Amino acid sequence: MTSFRAWLAILAGALPASLVAVLLFITLYAWPAIHFNGWGFVVRDTWNLGNAYGSPVEVGGTSILPGASYGILFLIVGTLLSTLIALLLAVPVGVGAAIFLAEAVTGALRIWISFFVELLAAIPSVVFGLWGYVILIPILSHYVFPVLSGALGFIPIFAGPTGSGYGLLTAGVLLSLMIVPFIAATLRDALVSQPAPLREAAMAMGATRFETIWRVILPGTVKILISATFLALGRALGETMAVLMVSGNALNYLPQNVYAPISTMAAFIVSQLDSALQDPTGMAVRSLAEIALVLAIISIIINALARLMLVVWGRVAIPGGRS
Amino acid sequence: MNTKKHSTRVEAGMVGVALAALVAAGALVASGDAFAAQTQVLETGSTLLYPLFNLWVPAYSEKHGDVKITTQGTGSGTGISEAISKVAQIGASDAYMSDAQMKANKGILNIPLAISSQMINYNIPGLNGEHLKLSGPVLAGIYDGHVTYWDDPAIAKLNAGVKLPHQQIVPVHRTDGSGDTFIFSQYLSFSTPGWSKSVGYGTTVSWPAVEGGIGAEGNPGMVNAAKGTPYSIAYIGISFKKATEQAGLGEAALENKDGKFVLANQKTVGAAVEATAGKTPANERISLIFAPGAESYPIINYEYAIVNTAQMPEMAAALKSFFTWAINPKGGSSEHFMKAVGFVPLPPQIRALSEKQIAMIH
Amino acid sequence: MATAVQSPLAPGMRASRRVFSILGWLLTGLSLVLLSIAMVWILEVVFVRGISALTPTIFTTVTMGSGGGLLNAIEGTVVLSVGAMLLSVPLGICAGIYVSEFGFGRWAFSIRFLADVLVGVPSIVMGYFGYVTMVEWAGWNFSVAAASIVLAIICLPYICRTTELALHQIPADLREAAYALGAGDGRVILRICVPAALPAILTGVLLALAVSVGETAPLLYTAGWSSYLWNGALTHSPIGYLTYAIWTFINEPFASANALAYAAAVLVTAFVLAINILARFILGRGRY
Repeated sequence: MTSFRAWLAILAGALPASLVAVLLFITLYAWPAIHFNGWGFVVRDTWNLGNAYGSPVEVGGTSILPGASYGILFLIVGTLLSTLIALLLAVPVGVGAAIFLAEAVTGALRIWISFFVELLAAIPSVVFGLWGYVILIPILSHYVFPVLSGALGFIPIFAGPTGSGYGLLTAGVLLSLMIVPFIAATLRDALVSQPAPLREAAMAMGATRFETIWRVILPGTVKILISATFLALGRALGETMAVLMVSGNALNYLPQNVYAPISTMAAFIVSQLDSALQDPTGMAVRSLAEIALVLAIISIIINALARLMLVVWGRVAIPGGRS
Repeated sequence: MNTKKHSTRVEAGMVGVALAALVAAGALVASGDAFAAQTQVLETGSTLLYPLFNLWVPAYSEKHGDVKITTQGTGSGTGISEAISKVAQIGASDAYMSDAQMKANKGILNIPLAISSQMINYNIPGLNGEHLKLSGPVLAGIYDGHVTYWDDPAIAKLNAGVKLPHQQIVPVHRTDGSGDTFIFSQYLSFSTPGWSKSVGYGTTVSWPAVEGGIGAEGNPGMVNAAKGTPYSIAYIGISFKKATEQAGLGEAALENKDGKFVLANQKTVGAAVEATAGKTPANERISLIFAPGAESYPIINYEYAIVNTAQMPEMAAALKSFFTWAINPKGGSSEHFMKAVGFVPLPPQIRALSEKQIAMIH
Repeated sequence: MATAVQSPLAPGMRASRRVFSILGWLLTGLSLVLLSIAMVWILEVVFVRGISALTPTIFTTVTMGSGGGLLNAIEGTVVLSVGAMLLSVPLGICAGIYVSEFGFGRWAFSIRFLADVLVGVPSIVMGYFGYVTMVEWAGWNFSVAAASIVLAIICLPYICRTTELALHQIPADLREAAYALGAGDGRVILRICVPAALPAILTGVLLALAVSVGETAPLLYTAGWSSYLWNGALTHSPIGYLTYAIWTFINEPFASANALAYAAAVLVTAFVLAINILARFILGRGRY
């Protein structure tokens, strides 16, 4: 191995080194909290710093504020539900748009419209949050939610008080807008690159254009669709600012319907860091670090799974320059 | 041969550039302090005090151009923690530090700069012009989910003759570490034994799960949340009175310790100050909540500047000069500034205590 | 061979098939329309309100409380991005070159894998890491150093990936010819391949720059905020940045603050979109 290659190898090591450093430091920092909170951390649904104006007590060797008990069930539920809604909205719309772009639009128009839609992925999260805050929340709370609860009110999750617009469904809608380009762009590329003979054979048998797509072409792209969905899922899990600005920041509260406020893990870390710093024993900040660790691990697993699928099933086109 | 030496030099050169960038960065980082020329002061914390600081800084900077004060409204919790860790030089807080915090961090001062108060605002279409009467126990019931509708008997009892709507109350609380949360939860704790036992007070409390309750960041966030959410109720600092009036929010008359319902104004706040200020200790950490007296407004507090006594010489001088100006009735505590935010200046004996603490910054 | 496609409107087709096809086109078309409307709406709100808030004051004054301008924020974003690029570009390009040219070993495989994984870690986690290690533990407080390092860690995998992809486009013949002429690894890569792939590599750097300009969460806890221009210190001195203005000032009930938020939003969005459009022109319809 030449010295050039050796030097390159060392410098390239900055990448794995940074990831390892991040995980290592956060784990070390969160260790006392991990030890104190135990497995109940993910099952308890109350985040309680304890009495900040009482004197710290010793529990199991660590010093904490009296009454402190950390649980993130409501965060996990909020994160999962908002991501689920985002996917439920993004996959159909993404697939639909991809089909239309791949089949009904041709040439320069297809390139321009596809690019335009892909640019959605490039818009920063905080700008999405801005739009959600000034536009989406008033429109949803004044016009859409009342209609929705009226029409679908017989289903428990759509019934009940439509709230203030800050909540689960709003966050889900915003998240879906942010991840739909991943699904649409990937699927469009996959549809376009399906072999022509397949298409021609179906059409020769008298199938309409749409039937060909739906029953013959699309099934061949399911694997790519799944891996793209996983990538989109990974992005949605880590979204912070947009969700922070529209989700209502619920505390210790599991949503009773789709309009209820929620909190996600990523948004919670941002909004609670100041409060956590109030705890002189430091247990609150370390518990926040534990949340960051849980979030990092979940994202890494999802991303690794998505990449694995890519390796096995084929490449994916990622819009906006973000791989 | 020549080509080999040449290519080795090229390799080394390219890689050397990358390494040099890192080394240079490292050197710059190490010498970072040397570049700091003027006195840059970072003030962060209470959103209640933020509007006043935004009025103070331009006025002060006119005469003291060498001191650059950046203001931030991030919540009292951040103010306290960043002052302790010296990330910020002035931590603005509506809440004094706890005993545990004082013990863990020696050498931190809690210096009152002014006296402020807090309103309880609500957004009930049709009733925002009236001043609904609310009490501590009723508010505690709202915020812990016992009182869920606006026409609940507990509220109706206090407001005989007012047509209250049968709508669910949306309690809005602060998500950030907040001095407003501190004084509000203290009011609830002091007036309602049940709240004191179950939730207590602090800059952050474990808010009981109430259906539909939403969280907001900072006083501005509270104003916006209340404005945009019909039938909501929120606790908002007095310095945002103009904003709440513009938003068309109603202000509640609160029940004080003597059972009278009062609104926040110079008279009621002044009465509360008179009743409680005398008990202020030397380190000035005391609650002025739920003061006795027929005219006393129940939610008032000292606005603290949390400061680390150990500072660099220029910084100490800059801070001392600023604080002295701020509490001076001819300077920062003049009627012009106080009226703009609805605050009350420190009474003379408290000002003397503050001056003693300011002198301790070195 | 011309294939006559069966039209859903042809006579004699079973009704369910007809409805299915027509409905299918309608729904898919609707999806595209929905997406386009969303995109147009977002751009309209940001640009219309943002441009109307772009007065000369924005570019000449610093933020004063809830009003003033954005000069400090613009300068801060520039400083932080340049800092992040200074740190991540050399290392990222080296990593990309290594993975592309020597990518058959275990080390290269793990670097490539970890680059992909690193991209997926939420930026708030990076920000928290930066807070714990640099702001608190190392005692740098809010600083350009802490923020730039965190941004660099976020940008590193993007640059590595795009460099690798760019070098992959270079045909093998070019390399083989160079080796055949007796050039060593360094000369082949640095004098032949990299210059040929330079447009693509630079585009990758620009895209990483777009990512760093749009970041907010990690900067909240490493850069802090300052209403003043940067004093040159790399540590112990917070700095402003545009995304903070968007996040904080839209919340305020004062019109002057909201104007700042929109102005910052239009500056950031225009910059990010411009880079993405430029990247598309340089790279064509390739994968980037």
